[in-house]
Amino acid sequence: MSKYIPTIGIEVHVELKTNTKIFSSSKNGYGESANSLTNVIDLGYPGTLPTLNEEVINLAIKAATILNCKIRRQMHFDRKNYFYPDNPKNYQITQARTPIGYDGYVEIEVNGERKKIFIEEMHIEEDTCKSAHRGGVSLLDFNRAGVPLIEIVTKACISSSEEAKLYLEKLKELLFYGDISDCKMEEGSMRCDANVSIRENVKDPLGVKCEIKNIGSISNVAIAIEKEIERQEKLVDNHETFQEQTRRFDDKLNDTILMRVKETGNDYRYFPEPDIPYVELTDQMISSAVTSIPMLPDERRKLYISRGVSEINANKLIANRSLSDYLNQFIDTSLSFKEAVNLLLGDISGYLNKNEKTIYDTTLTKEKFLDLIKKMEENTLTSKNLKDILKQILESEDSIDTIIKKCNISNITDTKMLEDIVLKIINENEESVQDYKAGKDRAIKYLMGQIMKETRGSANPQIVNKILIRELNK
Amino acid sequence: MKDQLTKEEVLHVANLARIEISDKEIDKYQIELKQLLDDVEKINDVEGYDEDILIACWGENTNLRDDEIGNMLNPKEVIESAPRHSGNYIEVPVVLSDGEGA
Repeated sequence: MSKYIPTIGIEVHVELKTNTKIFSSSKNGYGESANSLTNVIDLGYPGTLPTLNEEVINLAIKAATILNCKIRRQMHFDRKNYFYPDNPKNYQITQARTPIGYDGYVEIEVNGERKKIFIEEMHIEEDTCKSAHRGGVSLLDFNRAGVPLIEIVTKACISSSEEAKLYLEKLKELLFYGDISDCKMEEGSMRCDANVSIRENVKDPLGVKCEIKNIGSISNVAIAIEKEIERQEKLVDNHETFQEQTRRFDDKLNDTILMRVKETGNDYRYFPEPDIPYVELTDQMISSAVTSIPMLPDERRKLYISRGVSEINANKLIANRSLSDYLNQFIDTSLSFKEAVNLLLGDISGYLNKNEKTIYDTTLTKEKFLDLIKKMEENTLTSKNLKDILKQILESEDSIDTIIKKCNISNITDTKMLEDIVLKIINENEESVQDYKAGKDRAIKYLMGQIMKETRGSANPQIVNKILIRELNK
Repeated sequence: MKDQLTKEEVLHVANLARIEISDKEIDKYQIELKQLLDDVEKINDVEGYDEDILIACWGENTNLRDDEIGNMLNPKEVIESAPRHSGNYIEVPVVLSDGEGA
């Protein structure tokens, strides 16, 4: 156990899922040819006038609500002045003084205990252009310039890399399910910076803070924090002083590297952006945003568990948004969620993964799915049968009944016919019958196996089981 | 009140502006920058100073745009308007050897 107490704060930038950029009508898109999604506003031409995208405000209200933030009714934008080619205006438009959301929290579970990670503030700003550095030059792509962002800043209340990781996972899940952002760290639509300091006693003032930027995955955030704590511990142990600084995480070296000694807030010479009018949120804007928030993961988890789904399966389902959304259309029906989830996570997921499809790419309508689960519950369709016709169920427009007929699927529920088969197997396996009578329960499994073999898996197992036990006990 | 900036303050401003200055210029700016700042500080003498006055100098607030895609520039035009380009990218000298901006 280290003698130092780490204090961690996390800043997350998330790109919003809008059609257009924050201050211009250029498309907000990823993966398109460089510099193909721009206009004069994104390129910072003089004399252009930015206009604020309504959907940005809408998504920011939703995000603030999801993060339990208070929402500011009146706000303005500020210019953050700095010199760097990723922003040719030489300022970034942001909200320094009046962030749209403040005083929120995200609840995480650490070793079985619930902990609130407090959100200091959440503000709206524009993304910069993307730069890549190659041998003495920087290559700029302005497709990202002006993409709307929200920046979410926690209080310095995180006390371990594990908590940081849990917070980020929860945040990602919330923002993804809230339809705020697609939160793809690999594409840069969610980016994390961590502020780390250490001190010996809780009563001491906070130690010198170092910010780690450009961390590409949640697991790397945890590693970067660990490495930074170790680095600071060594310095403090050796009584060395160090300055507040910005470092970046290098995933090849698995360590943090000094980028620059940090400029302080004043150095950015913030002042109110004169080109964008003051924004006042109306009750109507807030309520229409809040009522359109989709069902969030915690609520889904509770719902699934209350309908008989195991916690493990509930979590697995939530990890797959489209399957979870698909299931949610049956909330008002009497569908067995347990059976439905087993099927969705089992054979159906197998098919979808193999064919790189989502459930919405299949022909599995609501009615067809209800019918399918009903047939499986009644055992008029066995899991063996299902494997044979799953492809047809998911690819053809036919009803389940038609598919069963077309594929010649027989699930023998004809009691007379099954009785004949059971008697045949009993007669052929005298030894197993004796074993059963001698109390060896295993024998019944063997006999069942023989019957299923005889019927090539198409016998209804519940009915066979009943007949078999009745005949053996005669 | 001191009548000039310290040498360190002038160098800090020069660093923020990413410009090199000579010792002679430092001496000059220690005095001139201070005079400029004093002039700007007169704004604090305004009575009834209110942040709102600065921000909203017109009546119409909350002017929002619909989230609909509009005209964009031809990428060729964008790239060729820059002094240098490489493929579809605009090329500039590296400012910091390793890093991002804000």
